[in-house]
Amino acid sequence: MSEKPKIGVYTCYCGGNISHTVKCEQVAKVMADQPDVVISRTNMSLCSDAGQSQIEEDIRELGVNRVVIGACAPSLHEPTFRNTVVRAGLNPYLYHHVGLREQDSWVHSCDCDGATCKAVRLMSAGVAKARFLDPLEPIRLEAEKQALVIGGGVAGLRSALDIANQGLRVVLVEKSPFLGGRMAQLAKVFPTGEEAQRLLSELIDEVVQHPRIGVFIQTEVVGVSGYVGKYGIDLLQHGRGVTAENGEALAAGCTQFVPDEFNYNLTERKVIYKPYQGCYPALPAVDWDHYDGESILLNGKKEVLQDQAQPYQLTVGAIVVATGFDPYTPHTGEYGYGELPQVATLAELIRHLAVHPEAKSLRWNGRIVRDVVMVHCVGSREIEGVDALQEDGLVNNYCSRVCCTATLHMIEELHTHFPGLNIFDLYQDIRTYGRGHEEYYRSALSSGTRFVRYNGEDRPEVIAALEGDTHPVLVHVKDALTYNQELEIPADLVVLATGMQPRQIDDLVRMLKVSRGNDRFLLEVHPKLRPVETAVNGVILAGTAQGPMNIQESILAASAAAAKVVSLLGSGQVELQPFVAAVNAAKCDGTGACVEACEYEGAIALETLVENGKEVKRAVVTAANCSGCGACVSVCPNRAIDVQGWTLAQYEAMVDAIAMDIVDLVEAE
Amino acid sequence: MTDLMQKPETKILILATLAGGYAGADATGQSHLDYPSNTYILPVMCPVMFPPEFFIRSFERGIDGILLMYSGTDSPYKVEAAGTAKLINQSYELMKERGIDIRRLRLAAICTVCVKPFLKEVNNMHTLLKGIGPVSAEIKPQQAEAQRTLP
Repeated sequence: MSEKPKIGVYTCYCGGNISHTVKCEQVAKVMADQPDVVISRTNMSLCSDAGQSQIEEDIRELGVNRVVIGACAPSLHEPTFRNTVVRAGLNPYLYHHVGLREQDSWVHSCDCDGATCKAVRLMSAGVAKARFLDPLEPIRLEAEKQALVIGGGVAGLRSALDIANQGLRVVLVEKSPFLGGRMAQLAKVFPTGEEAQRLLSELIDEVVQHPRIGVFIQTEVVGVSGYVGKYGIDLLQHGRGVTAENGEALAAGCTQFVPDEFNYNLTERKVIYKPYQGCYPALPAVDWDHYDGESILLNGKKEVLQDQAQPYQLTVGAIVVATGFDPYTPHTGEYGYGELPQVATLAELIRHLAVHPEAKSLRWNGRIVRDVVMVHCVGSREIEGVDALQEDGLVNNYCSRVCCTATLHMIEELHTHFPGLNIFDLYQDIRTYGRGHEEYYRSALSSGTRFVRYNGEDRPEVIAALEGDTHPVLVHVKDALTYNQELEIPADLVVLATGMQPRQIDDLVRMLKVSRGNDRFLLEVHPKLRPVETAVNGVILAGTAQGPMNIQESILAASAAAAKVVSLLGSGQVELQPFVAAVNAAKCDGTGACVEACEYEGAIALETLVENGKEVKRAVVTAANCSGCGACVSVCPNRAIDVQGWTLAQYEAMVDAIAMDIVDLVEAE
Repeated sequence: MTDLMQKPETKILILATLAGGYAGADATGQSHLDYPSNTYILPVMCPVMFPPEFFIRSFERGIDGILLMYSGTDSPYKVEAAGTAKLINQSYELMKERGIDIRRLRLAAICTVCVKPFLKEVNNMHTLLKGIGPVSAEIKPQQAEAQRTLP
């Protein structure tokens, strides 16, 4: 330690979030009398300009050379306050953050004294650590000016294009045989009423013609190693099974049919297929998951197709995860789905209308439809104890955001194409939050749609009508706006507005080490401050992999992700936290225990040095290869090695402060 | 300040990994779910850095229970799962030698959204300590004496 510690301690009220439970003034008073503390203040909101300025002023005027802040979670504002101390001329690592909100005031709201005692001990521990803080420099490494974008839907395409337009190279990988993702399954999209496939087609053209974008279709990410700036990626590209020369002929000769998932199994397709006219690539692909291995007739000869998968390896500086969502599929029997033929999802109805564009009347399973009931919030806003659990034992308690407008947009489409339909809309709340979305609600109202509000605890019930009845299904609902009056609505078709679900990407999540939120979608660091970054450096989120979004929001998120990638890799260098192992050469006697314990290649080695004319062995760390795990720390018999910024001595000092009785801490006043 | 001084309690130290338990504790906070306030959470990169002597020292200084909340096999560090388990086993041996109840030290895999498991571990340790009392009852007096002094 180069200078005597002069510690500034700051306890944040967090606008009442902390101070409503923790007696912040008492905490500050105890801290003020701790050894080496030169100033202890409270502040209503330390992250505000005024709060930060106060810290800067204390550093400049009082000579504060260590800063301890008790505030919200470090994951939210640690970067903010590092920048604060840097602005005042202090090394960013001479600052320590104590979480007093998520880990104290918010979890001990009924125990103000307990929460205050805890704050005192945690802040004392922070001060104890601060005494041992040393200035550190970030590790600067060369960065590969190439990004990987995982997912060829609208978010992945947009992100890839934006990154490439800023001069970086991009590799775009798509697991399925065609680009476009879920958006390709839509027809007209709100709020502009444009054709989804045409919009996509324009975007895809730009992407595939871009000189800095490489597109890998039918490709999976099977391995990820390395770190921000230099991720090693293993890809596995499945064979297309056909060539430009024989593709169409093989498709024509193929006789194996399977349900067409592009149309939600409403239709069938061949096992060598194209999902829709105008798709990219235009070349048909073999559906390896369903191909039965039987021979296919080509020019009079029998051909057996084989998936000749090809591995690839590449190095990228950053990774954009744009893996999208899965549409919610109701359980069998949920609102009669899967049991009653006249119950469909909104996504199915969209594909049905796309497949029958010229239909003069709406038919479902051969029956002319006159009375339609739309049900909102299917698989969304579920309540534990009321709704059935999903396969993972949880309920989808989140709002899927897009289904309200999508349902009202569909109502407008139905009224336009099939005038005279009676439509009932059963909703909990109408959430048409975007520009131009409310117009669909007004349009539905003016076209005579009857809205019935139900409570989430008392969802509508869909049952089969008695034989000979005028309608095949009956919908029972309690109208929350008329004191739960029970209504029975006869219907020819019930349309379930199903929400979005997180995709099953467990392997990818494991490889990337990214976190999921309570809703199981991928989790950003902070919804407002770092909305597209994950806790893993260089792994960025784009689109509905992160949560329900409409197309407009997906594109916004994709462009934000691209901007992050460009700012990260644009200079060709990345900065890593300096939390790596460091050897105290004076204590090291070259036992080699650290080298034996280390599992990271090239991170630590014994080198022969000459000291006082004698050859000695000393451990030497290569910072770029060190993960900072500290396996070397626990095995060193001389305590000659530590992880910078997280030393054993710091932890011992923190434990001592926590173990101290409050009476001792108070007596220090 | 008097009211604070009248808070004798056992102390639970929670060493929680940034990639797992610490984020899990934050998630618990975001859900505003209460748990006992005698819990002191310190962030760690990877618990494999702590030698067994660290835990013994912590007990000797007056920490009554230690929860090591790590990421298990989901850890970003190659050595975390196996390495930490090995160190904990070594720590148990030392605890037995010193007459410290080994239930005072517990390793638990807690993920970033493991709110319920986090609460379960904390409440279980709190209940255990209520039953077996403070660590000072198990440690020789001369070792316990050290707990009131700062370094």
